[in-house]
Amino acid sequence: MSKQGYAGPLERIDDCCWRIPQNYKPGMRVEGRIFADDRLMEHIRADQAPEQVANVAFLPGVQTASLAMPDIHWGYGFCIGGVAATDPLEGGVISPGGVGYDINCGVRLMRTNLDRADVLPRIGQLMDALYRGIPAGVGKGGPFLFDRRELLQLLAEGSKHLAARGWATETDLQHTEAGGCIDGARPDFVSDKALKRGDDQCGTLGSGNHFLEIQVVEEIFDQTAARTMGLEENRICVMIHSGSRGLGYQVCDDSLAALRKAPAKYGIELPDRQLACAPVHSDEGQEYLGAMRAAANYAWANRQLLMWQTREIMADCFGRAWESLDMELIYDVAHNIAKIEEHEVDGRRRSLCVHRKGATRAFPAEHPDLPESYRRIGQPVIIPGDMGRESWVLVGLPGSMKKTFGSCCHGAGRVMSRTAAIKHAQGRRIDRELAEQGVVAKCRHWKGLAEEQPAAYKDVGVVVDVVARAGLAGKVARLRPLGVVKG
Amino acid sequence: MYEIFEHTADMGIRVRAAALDELFADAARGLFSVMVSNLDAVRTVEETAFSIAADDVEQLLHDWLAELLYAFHAQRLVFDEFDVSVDGTALTAAARGEPLDPGRHEIEVEVKAVTWHGLKVERNEHGWLAEVIVDV
Repeated sequence: MSKQGYAGPLERIDDCCWRIPQNYKPGMRVEGRIFADDRLMEHIRADQAPEQVANVAFLPGVQTASLAMPDIHWGYGFCIGGVAATDPLEGGVISPGGVGYDINCGVRLMRTNLDRADVLPRIGQLMDALYRGIPAGVGKGGPFLFDRRELLQLLAEGSKHLAARGWATETDLQHTEAGGCIDGARPDFVSDKALKRGDDQCGTLGSGNHFLEIQVVEEIFDQTAARTMGLEENRICVMIHSGSRGLGYQVCDDSLAALRKAPAKYGIELPDRQLACAPVHSDEGQEYLGAMRAAANYAWANRQLLMWQTREIMADCFGRAWESLDMELIYDVAHNIAKIEEHEVDGRRRSLCVHRKGATRAFPAEHPDLPESYRRIGQPVIIPGDMGRESWVLVGLPGSMKKTFGSCCHGAGRVMSRTAAIKHAQGRRIDRELAEQGVVAKCRHWKGLAEEQPAAYKDVGVVVDVVARAGLAGKVARLRPLGVVKG
Repeated sequence: MYEIFEHTADMGIRVRAAALDELFADAARGLFSVMVSNLDAVRTVEETAFSIAADDVEQLLHDWLAELLYAFHAQRLVFDEFDVSVDGTALTAAARGEPLDPGRHEIEVEVKAVTWHGLKVERNEHGWLAEVIVDV
């Protein structure tokens, strides 16, 4: 299992896109396309991610090209940073590997009307309050307990159910991808095991690369878009990165078991058994789709509850109601999901199953799926950077619809394994180093910080540059963390 | 005997043993050692029985570890001792340990799932070798 580089062909299409030709491996139905510049391509060639891009091109019904974003790295079956759209009417398949274990891992950004000067003098106190108040850490349950009946409602309705409980506003729903509730969720397809893992985890952060950050807007690149989102230089924002917790991981695990024999059953030849899949229009395909949608709804509810708890904690800290702190949700995006969306292929509008694994939707202005508030500027795209470095807000551009089925990158992508990152840290107190950079980090174990140190990730600024040059999404604002809570 | 090896975003467990029963027991211990850094502090007070059937021995290893992971996450149990009896592509086992105590057990890494990537269980001249990657 040593790290071998990719030795196959890579042809430059332009200064930020490369092609893996369709004739690279017999069985590829389309070519592969990787969005990257020369700097990033060096990292990308060093692992097997391009091979995985070529493998995804084998999937029945795959349209146009197997795509990869600039933050691509090796994953299970699909690489992380992979996008692939299949046409169900052509026997197109759905593959859990194209979504990931953490179904609807995603990120949301909430603004405030506080600025740097309001928060810096009390950053320690604020981070302590968040660290104590936000449930985080391995297997950590939270204060929101849902009985089986209500849990099933949560899976069916996502954030909409929370609105009925008074834990979400109408704007919160409008500013969440899919309104925080994707249609066609089938809680009845979610196993008992998954329900058991999820009954006390809604509203918890988790661990690994999940985090809650207090950030400051450092630079605005698009005044109009920023104003529409309520962003200004020096304003404080809250970014929350989390997913569907144990419920989602179990749904993925269950589906991989259920789909083990599906490729043989449907006569699908795969170069990698981790691309296990079934036609969207098959019982197995519909079961995964329904269960995955239910898990996605759970994840939106999770991020909504995390945000709600943050509002309460900050209201307490600053002695004002969260509404008067203007703690409004700018937007929430999924970056591990499969959705049925309309896209144009060869001049015809088609209904496609779009897999985004470590990739974010980036719809442009005037897209009918966008809320009224963002119709004129395009969909906000939230890109969490690595801990201690910058995060970005972008806005979807027409180029994404032309080139990537309305998708762009999701973050920075790891370059260093967790054990290498820990070795690299060499016992350095990462929390102290972050403090020197002006970041207050709260984490239960120093190892958790070392694994997530900035050196372990690619430079998100470079990734965002490529996405902007390729016309997929435009820069709106760059943010820097002041404090981070990790599990 | 097991060792943890690195894998870009995740972790691998490599196990070597003379016999299959021992291989499965050591793999289980390897899994819990990834999650609980002070596994030796776990008291052996409770026992849980497992019975698993699979189509092949790799799937058996995957499903055995997945069941243990589920017991950890859903029932909050930590195990450090395992008696496993493998018969073809099925096994029965007893796992011993105690309920998770965040005060005493150092839980550092969350294993989300046992993946199928590079999963192998093979015989060699020294006995058996298994490798499994866990998603953390």
